[in-house]
Amino acid sequence: MGTNLLDAELVKRVQNGDTAAFDLLVQKYQHKVINLVGRFVSDKSECQDIAQDAFIKSFRAINSFRGDSQFYTWLYRIAANTAKNYLASRARKSPGYTVDVDDAEHFEGESGLKEYANPENLLLTDEIKATVFSAIEKLPDDLKSAITLREIDGLSYEEIAQVMNCPIGTVRSRIFRARDVIDKELRPLLE
Amino acid sequence: MKELDEKLSLLLDDYADEDIDAVLDEVTADVNLQYRMRRYQMIGEVIRHELPEAIDTDFHHEVMTKIRDQAQSSATTATESAAPLAPTPLTARTWFRPFAGVAVAASVALVTIAMWQPLQQDTDPLDGELANADQQKIQQLGQQLQGSAVQASSRVQSGGMRWKLKNESPVLQQKLNAYLVNHTEYSNSMQGLIPQARVAGFDAQQ
Repeated sequence: MGTNLLDAELVKRVQNGDTAAFDLLVQKYQHKVINLVGRFVSDKSECQDIAQDAFIKSFRAINSFRGDSQFYTWLYRIAANTAKNYLASRARKSPGYTVDVDDAEHFEGESGLKEYANPENLLLTDEIKATVFSAIEKLPDDLKSAITLREIDGLSYEEIAQVMNCPIGTVRSRIFRARDVIDKELRPLLE
Repeated sequence: MKELDEKLSLLLDDYADEDIDAVLDEVTADVNLQYRMRRYQMIGEVIRHELPEAIDTDFHHEVMTKIRDQAQSSATTATESAAPLAPTPLTARTWFRPFAGVAVAASVALVTIAMWQPLQQDTDPLDGELANADQQKIQQLGQQLQGSAVQASSRVQSGGMRWKLKNESPVLQQKLNAYLVNHTEYSNSMQGLIPQARVAGFDAQQ
């Protein structure tokens, strides 16, 4: 389909004052935006703060979004501009702090930022990846094919139905069942 | 519940049916459904190798907390120069559009009326002068006729284009006809009509 009905509906709700709908948009696009910012800013600890700024800016400007483009295109443009502005302002700024020679070795730089890439988060992310791939390996072939054709190859339900030679209803059922099985493995990690 | 989970799966793939509103209402009201939706989303990100090297499960909480905090601080300071943090509903920003349209239409009408009045004023004085000139001529003619046997003031009426004589007098009628031929171009009742046509018209009415 590719029309992003979900995004359009959520944006409409946010524009009408439903803040909870914006929470869903953040959850949907947080990792994509962080990855995008990471292409501009090498310091991973700063990426999440810049991504947060980008989301806040997009929330404040969401009434100017008229649906001429896809929401994620608009959001990515804001994120890219936020990252570029951050780099430009950092280049203009002097450090603005003094560091004692004795403390320099332990000084963490200008980021009084939360350290996101801490060992705990790194471990959690590795566990999530391992769990998902392990769960996929254990899936029956029909479910595995359906979920990989959808998620990796990005095929539509209609295309998957042609490839797998089955009705569309079966495709949607297989994709859901595959997600459900993987989710059962994933859930304990994220609770 | 399984049915709702399957609808979530469809929603993520943009295969939502007509009850997308009902599903979203349930999702926004139920944290567990939100978590499930996020895990479904995450499964796809892992498969596509789009997951960052370190994820922060509180990321969206922090974003929403900052948004609420900034909304509260901007509400308390209430500075007009500051941009409003919370997006105002579209209806609030567009309510004035019909009024703006009416205001523009009213302005155009006002300008039209203002232009029309000077135009009328341009034409009316001339007509008035010509009418006064006619009246003066008539009065002069009346005075000239006072010497004759007929009382002009009681016999001559200036209504319309015809001279009406109570008692027919060829001499007086001849004078009046001559007067009309000589002064017909000053008449204000049929502007633009050539004098010959006016004379012909007068003769036709005799």
